[in-house]
Amino acid sequence: MRCTYATVQRVTYATLSEELRMPKRLDTSFHKRMIAGRMADPEFRAEYERTRREIDQVDSVIRQLDELREAAGLSKAELARHIGRDPSSIRRLFTAESNPELLLVASIAEDLGAEVRVVPRSSRRRRRSSAVARRTSTA
Amino acid sequence: MVAWDVVYYKAADERVPAIDFLDGCPTKVAANLLAVLDAVAEAPPPQYSGGGKWEAMHGTMGGYYEVRASGPGREQFRLFCVLENADQAELRRRGLPGPAIAVLTGMRKPWRTAFTEREYRAARALGDDHRANFPRRIAE
Repeated sequence: MRCTYATVQRVTYATLSEELRMPKRLDTSFHKRMIAGRMADPEFRAEYERTRREIDQVDSVIRQLDELREAAGLSKAELARHIGRDPSSIRRLFTAESNPELLLVASIAEDLGAEVRVVPRSSRRRRRSSAVARRTSTA
Repeated sequence: MVAWDVVYYKAADERVPAIDFLDGCPTKVAANLLAVLDAVAEAPPPQYSGGGKWEAMHGTMGGYYEVRASGPGREQFRLFCVLENADQAELRRRGLPGPAIAVLTGMRKPWRTAFTEREYRAARALGDDHRANFPRRIAE
């Protein structure tokens, strides 16, 4: 294509009109700024961090089960059949469309040769032990 | 996977219903709700995320998502959201740099009670207004 003045003009007008047709790009940083502001409140920060830890644990369990399912080459429907559940309950579980039911989680883990465990945090154990020690010493 | 944005619908009168709602929540409840939003935004759909406190709604609220939290006296708090997930051209048309969770509003109710269809209709009206705007009208 020969690059004439008319071609450049056409391209420029096309780009300009494209720019004009497009809505402005919004600033989406409001949420992050708001969270940062609320984090200054120790009560907010403690609860936010506690909730995130709780959520991360549940999410991690479900995602690990999904990874095991994939590694076993099982479709969600096949897994559902294995544990005698409706396929939609398995689909909902792995796509966060429902609150995970512990019995369902345990059944899936069992079928995939895994198990659900509660592992105490060492720091919490230490805190609890020291609390027991304090109670004992004051008794 | 890249994290999504969290944006807040702004009404024509400049009010941001979700923020008004969060400001009226006990601090711990607001922290709960916002922690769920961040968890979902960081590991967005279709991944499992939100620890069971993020749920797709059904029936007349199909297409909407709710964030759930409990407060003092087992009072129930909900944030209603829609997903802004489309191809780049469509997202640009909406004014968004990438996919996002759009938070519309929140509602609270006593334990073991349900929201009325009228209340849900009011939430959907905000969703309709949100989706009718190009670019989206959000808190900035």
